[in-house]
Amino acid sequence: MIKIAGLTKTFPSGARALAGVDLEVKPGEILALLGPNGAGKTTAVRVLTTLCGFDSGHVAVAGHDIDVEPEKVRQAIGYVAQETGVDYFLTGRENLTLQGQLYRMTKADILARSAELGEYFDLTTQLDQLVSTYSGGMRRKLDIATALIHRPKVLFLDEPTLGLDAPSRQSLWQYVRRLNTDLGLTILLTTHYLDEADKLAHRVAIIDNGKIQVIDTPDALKDTIKGDAIILEVADTQTIPKLQYVLANMADVQDIRIDGPHVHVYVAQGATMIPRLVDATRASGAEIKYLTFARPTLDDVFLRYTGSSMTRKKDGSEPNAWWKQWAGKGGGKWQKQWQQDQTATETAAAPPPEAPWQRWQNQGDTSDGAPSAANSGTWPQQEAWRDAQTSVPDEARQKAWPESQHWQSDEGGPKTKASWKQTGKPGPHTKD
Amino acid sequence: MLFDTWHLFKKYLRISLRMPMWTIFGLIQPLLWLLIFSALFGGFASMPGFPAASYIDYFLPGVVVMTVLFGSSWSGVSLLRELTAGTVARMLVSPISRTAVVLSRVLHSAFLVLLQVIIVLLTALPLGAHITTQISFILAGLTAVVLLGVAFASISNGLAIMLQREEPLVMIGNLMTLPLMFFSTAMVPQQFMPSWLQYAAMFNPVEYGVQAARAALQANPDAGVFWPAAGITALFAIAATAWAVSAFKALRD
Repeated sequence: MIKIAGLTKTFPSGARALAGVDLEVKPGEILALLGPNGAGKTTAVRVLTTLCGFDSGHVAVAGHDIDVEPEKVRQAIGYVAQETGVDYFLTGRENLTLQGQLYRMTKADILARSAELGEYFDLTTQLDQLVSTYSGGMRRKLDIATALIHRPKVLFLDEPTLGLDAPSRQSLWQYVRRLNTDLGLTILLTTHYLDEADKLAHRVAIIDNGKIQVIDTPDALKDTIKGDAIILEVADTQTIPKLQYVLANMADVQDIRIDGPHVHVYVAQGATMIPRLVDATRASGAEIKYLTFARPTLDDVFLRYTGSSMTRKKDGSEPNAWWKQWAGKGGGKWQKQWQQDQTATETAAAPPPEAPWQRWQNQGDTSDGAPSAANSGTWPQQEAWRDAQTSVPDEARQKAWPESQHWQSDEGGPKTKASWKQTGKPGPHTKD
Repeated sequence: MLFDTWHLFKKYLRISLRMPMWTIFGLIQPLLWLLIFSALFGGFASMPGFPAASYIDYFLPGVVVMTVLFGSSWSGVSLLRELTAGTVARMLVSPISRTAVVLSRVLHSAFLVLLQVIIVLLTALPLGAHITTQISFILAGLTAVVLLGVAFASISNGLAIMLQREEPLVMIGNLMTLPLMFFSTAMVPQQFMPSWLQYAAMFNPVEYGVQAARAALQANPDAGVFWPAAGITALFAIAATAWAVSAFKALRD
């Protein structure tokens, strides 16, 4: 349905957004482009939706070359941008009607289609209210509905759940799945939420530095990471060097990585290693404050193929990336306000597109310790969906999810020695 | 393209009608000018060589042009809002004509300005202003007004795309409106202006809008002055619109 070969794009400012992307999206598939901000996700989608040009490569969407027949591509696609594309000062129905008119649909068709979509997205009762009265989740639903008015074959969703509260995200995921299963819609979505890619997509393409690093089903990707991670938090960081030395000499320890008081130990069989690790730590004179045991997640996959953790990339290794992104649009005040709002409450307010990184951090924070309401709340649905959609659900992994979330948000050290070497020093997280 | 323009025009009009207050607020300033300047410069009319019977007769077309400038020079601000909100991207992924996006905005702006101008004219009449009673000249004057509105709305939209920021846009908008008014015969007849200002006014597109509006709307319309001035205004409007459309098309980075 989508074929991209050797796609490159450099912005006039000299920033290289896409450095040779090759990607094929099959008909009827949900494919997630997973990557941190600035990885090239949005640029890729903007190229695919004819919103932005590119330097070289070949791009075909729904069988039409994007350079030769952009009009036909436009007719075949629906696009939901990060920003709300619906007009706040119009009602839901007016938004749908206008969009239908832009696609040159007949009056009767627009009427029928609006009613149909209103029903599909459970917006019928609110369809004649102004969009400015909608909640964030409703707006996003209307946004998707307007993108579908002309019955496209491919739907592009750019960060579809950015800034939505947990229940709204869950509900939106349900709609996206249904669109795929009921209507056979091919969906390409970009996200920087690991769980979103994991739960929603048939295949995940990890994009970083303008290139697709790896592409496969979420399970297959996770299977490439063998073994478990055990994270020890020690009481006294002075004891770490010795501990590191002791652990490095233990049999079956594959890798060690230090992050502040956290020692990440990567082993093949976590369950049997824990007692040995505890003993060895004690013998080295270090005291364990607590210990976390985690199964691999997409973050580990990300780490493996990009050389640094996705969570880390957000706030650590590129301290300027997000800043530059929204500084151009102006609004330092916004960011502070957003921070306050977010810590105070997770409401369904309009998502400021400027600060997705902030959102990310908070995501991590909420899963610290106990599983967040969002995660625990969705398990039943999620399992049911997994049963229907993909292979057998991994019970154990799902149970370990809260912990692995915690681990991700905290760190996500490299699994392999190779990637350790790549990062250079064992503690790249001491930002100063 | 025409249908696209029409649908989008309807959209913008609908939004404007939902908050008519703004259109009315936009009128306050020109009406205040009308009152203040008429009172302030009322004595002008008694000066030898003043081309009109009373100052308000002379000034009314100037206020009309002022209404146009103040009304249309901010059109770009809402384009920026739309760009940020993502509604423009929504239009651009559809097969809609790119030209229609700009045209609909510009026409919408000019249409609102036309409504405002009509209100200004109707308000001026009880204040003692005299305008032509010939319908054809009134229509001609209003056409000149719409053309000028189209021109300035286009410039504002084009600048919005080029600058991508609100602050400089508003600044340039300010710079565009007031000085251009004073560099024209909107308030002061040509013979009362210093010669350098007369010379500068020759290069001021607003001046031709003022001339056209005055020639058509004054109590004794002057077709000989109207046509060349309206022609220049029309050329200005076409050039400005073409520029805005090309800027918009180049928006695809």
